[in-house]
Amino acid sequence: MLKLIQVEFLKLRRRKFIWLMLLAALFMPLAAVFYFASVKGTGVEPIEFYKWTAFSYTPWIILPVVLGMLCTMLMYNENQYDMLKQLWIVPVNKMAYFFSKFAVVLVYSVCFMLITAAASILTGVLPGYIAFDSGSVLYLLRKCMEISLLTAFAVLPILAAAAAQKGYILPVCLTLVYTFLGFILLMVNMYLHPLSSMTAIVMRDIPGVVITQPLNIPGAFLCIGVWGVASVLLAGAALKKRK
Amino acid sequence: MSDFVIETKKLTKIYGEQTAVSSVDIHVKPGRIYGLLGRNGAGKTTIMKMILGLTPITSGEVDVFGQNIKGHEKRIYPRIGAIIETPGFYPNLTGTENLEIFAKLRGTPRPNAVKNALEVVGLPYRDKKLFSKYSLGMKQRLGIANAILHDPELLILDEPTNGLDPIGIAEVRNFIKDLSVDRGKTILISSHILSEIALLADDIGIIDHGVLLEESSMEDLEKKNRKYIQLQVSDVPKASLILERQFHVTDYAVQDEHSLRLYDTALDMAAINKALVVQDVAVISSQICNDTLEDYFKQITGGEGIA
Repeated sequence: MLKLIQVEFLKLRRRKFIWLMLLAALFMPLAAVFYFASVKGTGVEPIEFYKWTAFSYTPWIILPVVLGMLCTMLMYNENQYDMLKQLWIVPVNKMAYFFSKFAVVLVYSVCFMLITAAASILTGVLPGYIAFDSGSVLYLLRKCMEISLLTAFAVLPILAAAAAQKGYILPVCLTLVYTFLGFILLMVNMYLHPLSSMTAIVMRDIPGVVITQPLNIPGAFLCIGVWGVASVLLAGAALKKRK
Repeated sequence: MSDFVIETKKLTKIYGEQTAVSSVDIHVKPGRIYGLLGRNGAGKTTIMKMILGLTPITSGEVDVFGQNIKGHEKRIYPRIGAIIETPGFYPNLTGTENLEIFAKLRGTPRPNAVKNALEVVGLPYRDKKLFSKYSLGMKQRLGIANAILHDPELLILDEPTNGLDPIGIAEVRNFIKDLSVDRGKTILISSHILSEIALLADDIGIIDHGVLLEESSMEDLEKKNRKYIQLQVSDVPKASLILERQFHVTDYAVQDEHSLRLYDTALDMAAINKALVVQDVAVISSQICNDTLEDYFKQITGGEGIA
């Protein structure tokens, strides 16, 4: 399995777009620079600043879309170049293959959120909007790790859909629908959609965040778990058929 | 233990209502090159895919190294190298990087496996050219390099000379032959190019419309396609009588009312011609002929020839 994961990273050599997508991690921190310059000014509470840069649209929209694209690209490449039969006769176990792709998504998600965290600190401290405070930095890092790990699990359905499809159009469309559905369902029922459930878990202890629905952390984990297991089963069945 | 490296029994593949492969029994012996010959769409690739477990079998059985591949993949696949259809690789990587990935996945223990495999097929090691920039011939060579990377006992090569130039074809043919002769590899190779199979194979299976029409060794096939004297005469019954009585010829065949085939090419044709003419049998022509593999292919497929 470790060998497969190493190979997955070797395959990403010279795939510029995958690495360029990491720039999306800078979007909210850079947007915050302009927002705080014009609206809030300096001397802001660090958590207040990080809520803007790392705990809002990044986990709700940006990271799921980026990870969805990544899932599609990881699966589509081998389909497009008719490589699967070469892999199966190595032999590569089909489920190990799927989990190795997931490992890439997981690592990528962690890197993405670490970049977001680093950018949040830099864009907050350097212009003087927030004071450097190790406690809040550790809190930011912990939250970013939570977001990255949970979002990676929450996009398992997209990875499974990409594994079941030869093309990329459906998984890309699914990424957009899935992400925005998760965002919309946040306000309806947080425990139906893995991305809404992820938000419920992440937001549980962020000061100043008011969750209108009753907080049910086990329910949120259950939602992510059920969708995750269903996705793994779907991917297993799809890859079994795939030659 | 089976005497064959690959043995199929009544192998059948049906797609919807179309039978792609019908009750095929092929027998690939150890250390030999088995050529699967057939036109495009005859079912060669489907047979190879079924042997490799890449497509489900509708009915029948496949044994590889005496075992059913299903359930024994981990034991059998490392002993096989294969190219099925046009080999695909990662376009963003170089040939060396692509092979390094497969070497890593296979856990190839030999330190210079990638370098050696590339040398065998004549591709440069550590070249900076990406796979996406490779010509069709280079892609095919890389596919072959990947198939031999882990030094497998059995090679399954689906049209490996596709896209190669004439020199490349000759090179690949030579090294396939070397793999069999020098290193004792068993090779199952498919082609629609009859001359390729004729030059390479020790055994041959002729497939047409999913049916294996003939399976035999090249030696036997050559015996069947032996030389003969084609004799065209005005009166075949009378000519036959003269041949039998005067020249004691028994190994001949009557083709039609004006032609005969004499299978002993050492006969004194001058004397035969003279005897026939003297006894009022006009000799229209007499010539030494040789049935080619293509003639034979035409004959058994009942249709057009092959490239």
